[in-house]
Amino acid sequence: MWRRRTTGLLLAPGLAVLALVFLYPVAVTLVAAPAGVDDGGLADRLGALAADDHIWRAAARTVRVAALVTGLCLLLGLPVGFLISRGPPRRRAVLLALAVFPLLLSTVVRTYSWLVILGRTGLLSRALTGLGLAERPTQLLYTETAVVVGLTQLFTPLVIITAYGAFAHVHPDLEAAARGLGASAGSAFRRVALPLALPGVLVGATLVFAGAVTAFTTPLLLGGTRTPTLATLLYDYANVTVDWSSAAAVALLMTVIVLAAGALAARAPAKAAPS
Amino acid sequence: MTRRHPVVGAVAAVALTFLLGPILLVVGVAFTAGDTIEFPPRGLSLRWFAQALSYGPFLEALRTSLLVAVAGTVLALALGLPVALSLNRGGARPRGAIGTLFTLPVVVPELVLGYALFQTLMVTFRVSAFGALLAGHTVLLLPYAVRVTGASLAQADRSLEEAARGLGAGGWATFTRVTLPVIGPGVAAASVLSLVTSFNNVPLSLLLNGPGTTTLPVAMLHHVEFAFDPLVAAVCTLLLVLAVVVMLVTERLAGFTDVLARQEADRWRP
Repeated sequence: MWRRRTTGLLLAPGLAVLALVFLYPVAVTLVAAPAGVDDGGLADRLGALAADDHIWRAAARTVRVAALVTGLCLLLGLPVGFLISRGPPRRRAVLLALAVFPLLLSTVVRTYSWLVILGRTGLLSRALTGLGLAERPTQLLYTETAVVVGLTQLFTPLVIITAYGAFAHVHPDLEAAARGLGASAGSAFRRVALPLALPGVLVGATLVFAGAVTAFTTPLLLGGTRTPTLATLLYDYANVTVDWSSAAAVALLMTVIVLAAGALAARAPAKAAPS
Repeated sequence: MTRRHPVVGAVAAVALTFLLGPILLVVGVAFTAGDTIEFPPRGLSLRWFAQALSYGPFLEALRTSLLVAVAGTVLALALGLPVALSLNRGGARPRGAIGTLFTLPVVVPELVLGYALFQTLMVTFRVSAFGALLAGHTVLLLPYAVRVTGASLAQADRSLEEAARGLGAGGWATFTRVTLPVIGPGVAAASVLSLVTSFNNVPLSLLLNGPGTTTLPVAMLHHVEFAFDPLVAAVCTLLLVLAVVVMLVTERLAGFTDVLARQEADRWRP
């Protein structure tokens, strides 16, 4: 019924735009040098990478922060996801809506709240002085910890959503059986539900890690210039110091880290899941 | 029923407070009568709302944001729906490879995409900043358009379309009078998802800067970097109200929570 030509005609415009506005620009920026841009291509990029200590320090910080954020998001998000999947339908809908709601807000809005809490005149600083724990207002912003806290808040919904989906596929009777055989609620969760939900949880963890590696708004606002990550460094090279081969080098490094994390996660479930 | 481990409930309560508490705090700050970001607010007033609603740069940026979000969504759907059709009805092959290709824009970091578009479109091909911004948003929204409408197509009952064809309707008539009404909720969900994603995006318009490309989140970001007044808190509060309205309306329309949850969870999956 469908002619080949029709299929082709439907597919062509989308593919053309994808090739022209995405594949070509990204490929050129990452591995070659675009025409008219003063930048010598991959060799220059790798040279910039090798020579620049700054980039490697930022890369180490980025990975460290992302790993910490992933761990914290799992710690907070897994119980919520589990609770949602085991609740009655009405509670499930409300809790899921609450967890998803922050995703409708811009990262600027979600990060702004931490300025209120962590700033020099912020809630926490005043609480510390009020309780006599600090003598004068303390600046909690512009530290790696502030970035970790902000990113954890930003990405916990992703773990909640993926964990909810994963736990929903684990039949509650399995836990009931474990309980019936004498397991406590805690060990039924740890030894039955969690292992079965692991592949889905891993997807969530990967999304958080990749998101944290590439996050920009939060490290900019909460980390400032003193704690650069790869993302803020890329922006700096591209827009402030206009050092294009360094910017491209950072872009390359960031993309490689994200794709590597994705590839790793894509391979892992096959091993983790019992066949 | 089964009793839950108390720790699970406690951690869940802490997590939800951690997620939503700070956002609500900003609402309090926005109502302050004072001149700094402070909680609890120093006296109550609406002055920062009045100021936000008459602050030129924010209004200008809001216009840009809306323009880019609407145009980008329309373009992404106009390109993405045909792709979804060709994959789900036309038997386009290799299906897996094409599907993967169309997820790539959300896998590659947005900053990298922004920088690449800046170099290629703006520097090499001399496209205007606004043109590059629109192109960037379109390509960023394309994966959602393809996937959400594709999921609707996969679920739709094909025998309806076959019946229409059997009764003599042509390809176009079948599409507009049978397929499109059936996948309507999916198209609506894809539109809302695209509008929200575009409206909230920061990296693209930050890197593709030029005349008329400062979107609202970027204008807020710049303001926060240099001023410490509660103006942005007022804008945040207004956006919060907007998000609540969007959520309530779309929830009835298309079960939006589920769509959003699924898209975020599956964003890397073809």
